[in-house]
Amino acid sequence: MILLEPHNVIIQTTLGEKIIKPSSLDVSFVDYDGVRFHMSTPEKKTALLLSMHIRCWDQLVQYGALDVLKREYGSLLKPSAEPEYNVSLEIDLEQVPSGTEEREVFIMSVALFKRNALAAPFELAFNTQKQLEASGSGQGELMEIHYRDEEAIYVQASADRVTVIFSTVFADETDRIFGKVFLQEFVDARRQPAIQNAPQVLYSNRDPPLEIRHLTLRKSEDIGYVTFVLFPRHFSNPTIQQATISHIQLFRDYLHYHIKCSKAYMHSRMRHRVAEFQKVLNRAKQEVATGEKKTVTGRTMQMR
Amino acid sequence: MSNVLRPYLAAVRSTLTAALTLENFSSQVVERHNKPEVETGGSKEVLLNPLIISRNENERVLIEPSVNSIRLSIKIKQADEIERILCHKFTRFMMQRAESFIVLRRKPVPGYDISFLITNTHSETMLKHKIVDFIIQFMEEVDKEISEMKLSLNARARIVAESYLTAVRSNHCFKVNILLIS
Amino acid sequence: MDVNFRKIDIDAFDEEILQESELYEQDPRDPAQALDEMKQIQGAVRSCLAKNDTVGALSAVLEHAPYGPTMEDAKIVSLQALMTILNSTKATEIPAAVKSLSQDSQDTLMKYLYKGMAMTGSADTNASVLLTWHEKLTEVAGTGCIVRTMTDRRTV
Repeated sequence: MILLEPHNVIIQTTLGEKIIKPSSLDVSFVDYDGVRFHMSTPEKKTALLLSMHIRCWDQLVQYGALDVLKREYGSLLKPSAEPEYNVSLEIDLEQVPSGTEEREVFIMSVALFKRNALAAPFELAFNTQKQLEASGSGQGELMEIHYRDEEAIYVQASADRVTVIFSTVFADETDRIFGKVFLQEFVDARRQPAIQNAPQVLYSNRDPPLEIRHLTLRKSEDIGYVTFVLFPRHFSNPTIQQATISHIQLFRDYLHYHIKCSKAYMHSRMRHRVAEFQKVLNRAKQEVATGEKKTVTGRTMQMR
Repeated sequence: MSNVLRPYLAAVRSTLTAALTLENFSSQVVERHNKPEVETGGSKEVLLNPLIISRNENERVLIEPSVNSIRLSIKIKQADEIERILCHKFTRFMMQRAESFIVLRRKPVPGYDISFLITNTHSETMLKHKIVDFIIQFMEEVDKEISEMKLSLNARARIVAESYLTAVRSNHCFKVNILLIS
Repeated sequence: MDVNFRKIDIDAFDEEILQESELYEQDPRDPAQALDEMKQIQGAVRSCLAKNDTVGALSAVLEHAPYGPTMEDAKIVSLQALMTILNSTKATEIPAAVKSLSQDSQDTLMKYLYKGMAMTGSADTNASVLLTWHEKLTEVAGTGCIVRTMTDRRTV
């Protein structure tokens, strides 16, 4: 699995099972970036309540997350969320579409709960870009989404493009160096003819890019900034636009996931190599005779 | 470079063979102690001249002989930041398993990446020429391993970057994902 | 209470203690005298090399090699002189040159090879040349030569 999936597998499988066979349920689980979910049946077996907690909910609401969720889920969205969570969906399992395909589509749309909430600022930026393009100039508001403790996404629309900047923290030195290798490849990969239509990628270590330099940011060696420049062709029609949003918001998780994979691979390699060295060294050991020693009369010596 | 590597390893091999003439030797300073003299450094008459064999500024071997033990330290080639971190990880990984590697020292001598300590007990219970073989093979393969790990890291990074950017460029992938799952 | 007496190195007051200087005989020459001598030899080496006399140049340096802790300046000059010889000798001529040296000279040459490798990067030493010489010398003089280098306290 090279690419990460935008939907939540736990929601998908649990919902699929419960639609077929409703039963009482109370589970909490998590997704990337410290997003917490709570799935329960507080009143009756067929009324499933799905609640979500996102760290940057207030910022998302500011950029129109509620509108996007209303559009996606309509009447499922509960007017007031469950305590300790930001937003809740109430799913009546008896009202779920009955056709196999329609049901799959419905389940998938619920599984994309987090993705849809995070999509709001991007959609807003794409729309702003269209307005700015019509008027010819100007710049949209710089939207900050602090989706993790020390890491944030910045989205800004201009007349001809939308800029997305990720700030990411590398936990240790190995991560930092591996991250640099990966990000350098992101910058280089675009030179290939097959990928030239991909968004432009820029990478800077320590110093934030120009667009967000006016913000007060902690400066340190272990912070990296990745800038994606999205041109209108990346969000020209709704399908492409949705696909782009799904991929862009998973970038940070994708990068770190593969850094961890590389580390795991290195570790298994080292394990193998060290075992080989061990074999070589063992060849140096002399055979020690450990046979039982007997006296002339046939009695065994006792080791004390 | 490999034509320089061969005489380098040959020099390490002959020096190590020469240095591995060890005998049991009790401490002259503390009664009833029998410690590797090269580590305690208590009496200078039993320490011999340390020898350095170098291939270039960044790759060298220090051999410190004494009457009952020798200490061999290796500085491994590290061309850039990636090789440095990989080398550090690898040597650390090995040194954490020092007890199964008997002759490995738990900490490298300052200025070097990995150290071995061979005492007279080792040279008595193990075959001397096989110990030398082990050290030489380690030196040969550690360079190879580090450069292979670096290549594999770069290859992975490239594949990762390409598949991500290809996916963002086209709108197929998102649909395919959904189809695969359902 | 004053506890500093614990830190006194009592071994220094022991008359039986072995001193560094007792491990070997000192170089009889005066440091300045040795330096002058090495400078003369450096000149002699150049003229030998001009005549293509590698063995003569080698033995000139090796037989008068300075040793001991007081001779740092003379040692550097002698190492430079030796490195010019090593660098200007063809790889195919090395075995013959090494063979015609006396055993003492071979041992001293081995000492210089290790010293040269220890100083790689600082002086005009070339590791690959030194390694080639080391290999040929070991073939001719054997491991014993390396052992004598390790055990001889008269470091060059």
